[in-house]
Amino acid sequence: MKDKVLAGPLGGDLDPFAKPTRSIGSRRFDADPESLERGLAQLVLTIVELLRQLMERQALRRIDGGGLTDEEVERLGRTFMELDARMAELRDQFGLDAEDLNLDLGPLGRLL
Amino acid sequence: MIELLAITDDATPPDPPLGAVRCGRLSVLWAPATEAALDADALWQREVLLEQLMERRDLLPVRLGTLVADERAACEAIAPRGEELARALERVRGAVELSVRALGASDDAPSPAPGEQTGREYLRDRLARDALAREVHAPLAAAARASVVLDGPEVLRAAYLVDRDEVDAFVARFRRLQHECSSVAMVCTGPWPPYSFAEEGDA
Amino acid sequence: MSAGPLAERDVALVDLLDRLLGGGVVIVGDITLAAANVDLVHVSLRALVSSVETARRQL
Repeated sequence: MKDKVLAGPLGGDLDPFAKPTRSIGSRRFDADPESLERGLAQLVLTIVELLRQLMERQALRRIDGGGLTDEEVERLGRTFMELDARMAELRDQFGLDAEDLNLDLGPLGRLL
Repeated sequence: MIELLAITDDATPPDPPLGAVRCGRLSVLWAPATEAALDADALWQREVLLEQLMERRDLLPVRLGTLVADERAACEAIAPRGEELARALERVRGAVELSVRALGASDDAPSPAPGEQTGREYLRDRLARDALAREVHAPLAAAARASVVLDGPEVLRAAYLVDRDEVDAFVARFRRLQHECSSVAMVCTGPWPPYSFAEEGDA
Repeated sequence: MSAGPLAERDVALVDLLDRLLGGGVVIVGDITLAAANVDLVHVSLRALVSSVETARRQL
């Protein structure tokens, strides 16, 4: 197999980049009810995650543009922080990781 | 059944067991479908095939696991998108894809729990990550024909479409950038077939 | 631990998987291997998502 790494980080530690490998086995097609339910959870959580990201991005732009009080900024930040943590809990509950929520929509590209 | 590998407008037939079927101005390159398990070795083998094909022709790789009954079905499948695919081929003519991922210093540390960080700090970190991503992406995008930012856990995960004979210059630019940006660790891999530029989408 | 061909191979595998599962021309085949196991669901999502996608692009 040809060497695909053209250039690496200073110090040469590639481990952090080797981690996000997913197990291919977990992505097999399955028609049993359990995995369909999981598929539905995946779907719902993905929509929620998408909305969360949309809102967070909008908030970031507003903060960048100025015009929010310190208290508003703090409240926004806390809200998103908690949403983020809650999303992580929900994903854990269903055994999904962040990549599982990145639905592939064919020609529309990835959802997130 | 056959598995579709790539779309090209080059007429050179591939070596067996691969096949090619002409569909209008385009050709679809395929391999006989196998029952083989999808493990890392199988994926690398498939990738090697694709890259060998790419050595002699410009092509658009097809999404993994696309199977159709036969060559006629292959042509039927791409017929409605002939124009679009021909345009995509022009976009990637004479170019390959390079991948870049960049990690910030804080990526290794676990995320702070909600109680450990103020809301303001959380957003400030997010803004800083975005700024860092732009700092890395901008010069590399300028050194490429086209680029697309992909989703991933890293500060930046992106694909760059680079002329075949500009790859060395791009890697040199990458190395300089790595030296200039001490707060990120970066890796560049490739060359890959133009997976991220095959569909019109975001690119 | 951090050097050597194994780490390089894993790094390349991450990039390969990203491309195989998320890139390439999407042609609707007779069987699309469930690299993402919601392939059945995504077809009916298009209408919903395209409106969200439009909103996302405007951000």
